[in-house]
Amino acid sequence: MVSLPLISLWDKRSLILHFSWMNIKLRFKGTYLGLLWAALEPLFMFSILYVVFSTIRITSKEDFAIYLMVGVLLYHLFSRGTGLGLTSITQNAGILKSLRTNREIFPVIATGSTCLFLFVQIGVLFGLMPIFNFVPSWTIVLLPIVLGLFLVLVLGVNYLLSTLYVYVRDVQPIWNVLVYALLFVSPVLWRIDQVDGILLEIQKINPIGQIIELAHKIVVFGEVPPLNEWLYTTAFVFGILFFGYAVFQKCQVKIVVKI
Amino acid sequence: MSSKNCGEDLRLDSLAIKSQNVTNTFSLNQKGISGILGDINNNQQNQFVALDNISFTILKGETIGLMGLNGSGKTTLLRIISSIYSPDSGTVNINGNIAPLLQIGTGFNPEFNASENIVQYGMLLGFSKSKIKSEIDNIIEFAELKKFKNLQLKNYSTGMRAKLGFATALQVNPDILLVDEVLSVGDEAFREKSFQAFLEFKKNHKTVILTTHSTKMISDLCDRVILLNEGKIVKIGTPDQVIPLYKIIVQEHKNSKRD
Repeated sequence: MVSLPLISLWDKRSLILHFSWMNIKLRFKGTYLGLLWAALEPLFMFSILYVVFSTIRITSKEDFAIYLMVGVLLYHLFSRGTGLGLTSITQNAGILKSLRTNREIFPVIATGSTCLFLFVQIGVLFGLMPIFNFVPSWTIVLLPIVLGLFLVLVLGVNYLLSTLYVYVRDVQPIWNVLVYALLFVSPVLWRIDQVDGILLEIQKINPIGQIIELAHKIVVFGEVPPLNEWLYTTAFVFGILFFGYAVFQKCQVKIVVKI
Repeated sequence: MSSKNCGEDLRLDSLAIKSQNVTNTFSLNQKGISGILGDINNNQQNQFVALDNISFTILKGETIGLMGLNGSGKTTLLRIISSIYSPDSGTVNINGNIAPLLQIGTGFNPEFNASENIVQYGMLLGFSKSKIKSEIDNIIEFAELKKFKNLQLKNYSTGMRAKLGFATALQVNPDILLVDEVLSVGDEAFREKSFQAFLEFKKNHKTVILTTHSTKMISDLCDRVILLNEGKIVKIGTPDQVIPLYKIIVQEHKNSKRD
């Protein structure tokens, strides 16, 4: 499904894995807790939101904790992963300017790091389930598909952002604000059936919101999402990937001069 | 057209590098929204000519000096030879594999220590992780950095970084080595060692291109010199022929500054 140049990256998988891991190592270098932070970051975010929102009783659902955690986890990873992706080309200027290398790998590496974070945080999610007496239904086997869509989305966004960022540095603060807004316009703190109006309209054009909603259905509610939801979101994230990759592809030779 | 700068009959297998009419321009409005739109639509404006119709031939086993004032196009030319940049027009044919362009401090991550950087760089150059790991000790030995093996590179001096880069590049065992200003920072002992390495290179019929402002180094090491000024080739010849011209250019530059 993916265009051919991306497939050739399969040969580079050990390089990509190594760099993805080093990225994470770099991030937590010098901290006492190290990789544990990968688990603690979303857990703290979850705790704060859980205390506040279960106190003001926006929702009475017993499963609110897991519902919230699924949303927080994907949101947090999206924020973290695209943050890494945004700077993935500019940060490697030294490498790009001193040796002929496959430029495509850098946004992929940022996505690879996101994927490693994902493994840690899925562990956190499953660790929370017994604490809140939550037993998932069989539909949770569909989770890998949702996570796959999530990574495709992150990769597409990373190709686009990392290229744009070479030209326009304002992209970073703009993206930070956008990601901040995504916390409120995505179904993290509220349920789809609790809202209407503008929030539902935004949900239609918000792929991360759609992915969170798919994950809610299969993890929290034990539902199999209807086919049209799958198809819509799949088309959306692959559309973003192709667009992002096309922009990167057009500019990749020229950005080396400009970083 | 005028690619026969050596004026000799060349057999193809004795050629290391052949550059024909290479021209490279940078657009001055490189960045911003207009920059990215220009790159996507492939229309360039406000161009600045960095290299103008450069043709030369380099034979295997030659050591070539590249001279010129700052901004005369030396680094751009080296980047084109290593296919980091692609020229706007003209062709460069390379016979053999090229080590990364050696510049002080590029390509290494300052947050990592020497071993981590060697692994990362080696993998980017296409070595397997196990292969490059087995070479770490040799590289560090050659660079005389054993004591500083576990020190982050940001704590290295310029000279130490240059040594590490040089040692890593030699380990690639390239046919063509490109050295940009690196040797001027090493200490006397290391310079001696690099001289030996260059001689060894020569003996094995390998090619070196180095840029430096040191006329002594040029006359000690180089078979021929390419003198660049404002993106054009002024002269290709033996050090004895070219160094006086270089001095004239330097003097003219000084005079123009004084006026």
